[in-house]
Amino acid sequence: MKTLSGISVISFILLVMSQVMLFNHLHIFGTINPLFYLVFFVFYRFESNQTVLILLSFILGFLIDFLSQSGGAHTIATLTLGFVRPLIIRYAFGVTLETPQSYFNDSRTLNKMIFLLLLTGIHHTLYFTLVYFSWDAIFLIIKNALFTSLFSLILMSITLGFYPNKK
Amino acid sequence: MQRILNALIQFRNSILYFFLLGLSVSFTFNQSPFHHYNIEKYGFYFSAKIFAIKYAIGNYFNLKEINQQLLEENEQLKKNELKSYNIPLYPDALKQPRRFPFKVKKANVLKNSYKNQRNFLTIDIGTNNGIFPEMGVVSNNGIVGVVHSVTKNYANVISILNKDLKINVRTNKSPAFGSLVWSGKNPLEFKIEDIVSNATISLGDTLITGGMSSYFPFGIPIGKISKLEKNQESGYYLVDAILFHDPSQIYYTYILENIDFEELQSLEKNILK
Repeated sequence: MKTLSGISVISFILLVMSQVMLFNHLHIFGTINPLFYLVFFVFYRFESNQTVLILLSFILGFLIDFLSQSGGAHTIATLTLGFVRPLIIRYAFGVTLETPQSYFNDSRTLNKMIFLLLLTGIHHTLYFTLVYFSWDAIFLIIKNALFTSLFSLILMSITLGFYPNKK
Repeated sequence: MQRILNALIQFRNSILYFFLLGLSVSFTFNQSPFHHYNIEKYGFYFSAKIFAIKYAIGNYFNLKEINQQLLEENEQLKKNELKSYNIPLYPDALKQPRRFPFKVKKANVLKNSYKNQRNFLTIDIGTNNGIFPEMGVVSNNGIVGVVHSVTKNYANVISILNKDLKINVRTNKSPAFGSLVWSGKNPLEFKIEDIVSNATISLGDTLITGGMSSYFPFGIPIGKISKLEKNQESGYYLVDAILFHDPSQIYYTYILENIDFEELQSLEKNILK
């Protein structure tokens, strides 16, 4: 298990700040604010401690909720994502010896896309369900989840493009 | 203990997740009235369902108790009903409290015969509950008979489906009175004897108890006149009546105890002497 380094802590805080200060105020087409902080789940190494991930995802969601004065939707969605991430990894990369140690150790583009798609899909669906929390708003939830996922994915792909594959 | 610890360590992720989830959910629903309201709505829906099931089950087990309560309530209501028929007989003119000399006691019917010419019922209370011969017996809708013989815990009742029992009746319009006797075939068909032919009665008149016997108070509805014929020779009407309710289908009865019974008896004895 990697020990907590100063850089990790600073990037974690920067991630939260970027979401709260920048991406929450984008208002693309009037309403869409991409949820960029999901890259945390990509950067967190696959073989690292799962319990710590759950704790960290809770802290992440809580901080974003706290700083953007939203209810608890970020926390719940992020926490759940942290809990189900191993399943997503297993589904996206397969249970083989080739299971990568982190996102950047794998060269298969399709698997990476599926991984990102599942991450954002699950997170956004949960998030908007919790925000609207009503059967009457089911179409609003689907619409918002779809479009926000699209922009989150674009943003994350661009960001992850800056990091080269280590293999 | 070791196993519990092992299990805790093994499932630490799930435990941590659900703990934190509960925490965040409670935060959310405490912070936002909208979420609070919505979750409460679902909560109400489910709790209502659960309570409905519980009620349905509990209802079944409480049936006996509720039955008992209803019987007690009915006992009281029966008394009031009988009393209300008697308002013209016990006027309130002298500002004295109305006196109604009947007490009501409930009883279950253990046996009810209706196929013979002389039928009897058995009820489940006797001298221990203050039942004595010659008390009137009524049901929820109409009269049943008169107590015949009593043991400690049971009593035998002469049914009105008995050719020997005559009950004093009158119509609700005319004061002419006669005796109601079973004709012996259909449990609903009765004959009324001894109504003098100059009385003004007509087809369809309601028959009520006359209150002339010590068994029944005045005014319990029994049936209606179905056939009316004047017998010129004897000077009496030939009247057929149909009961409102079938006396063979009875499961609960109310025994009417006449408080003045002994007084009346002693009075009659004095006259006979």
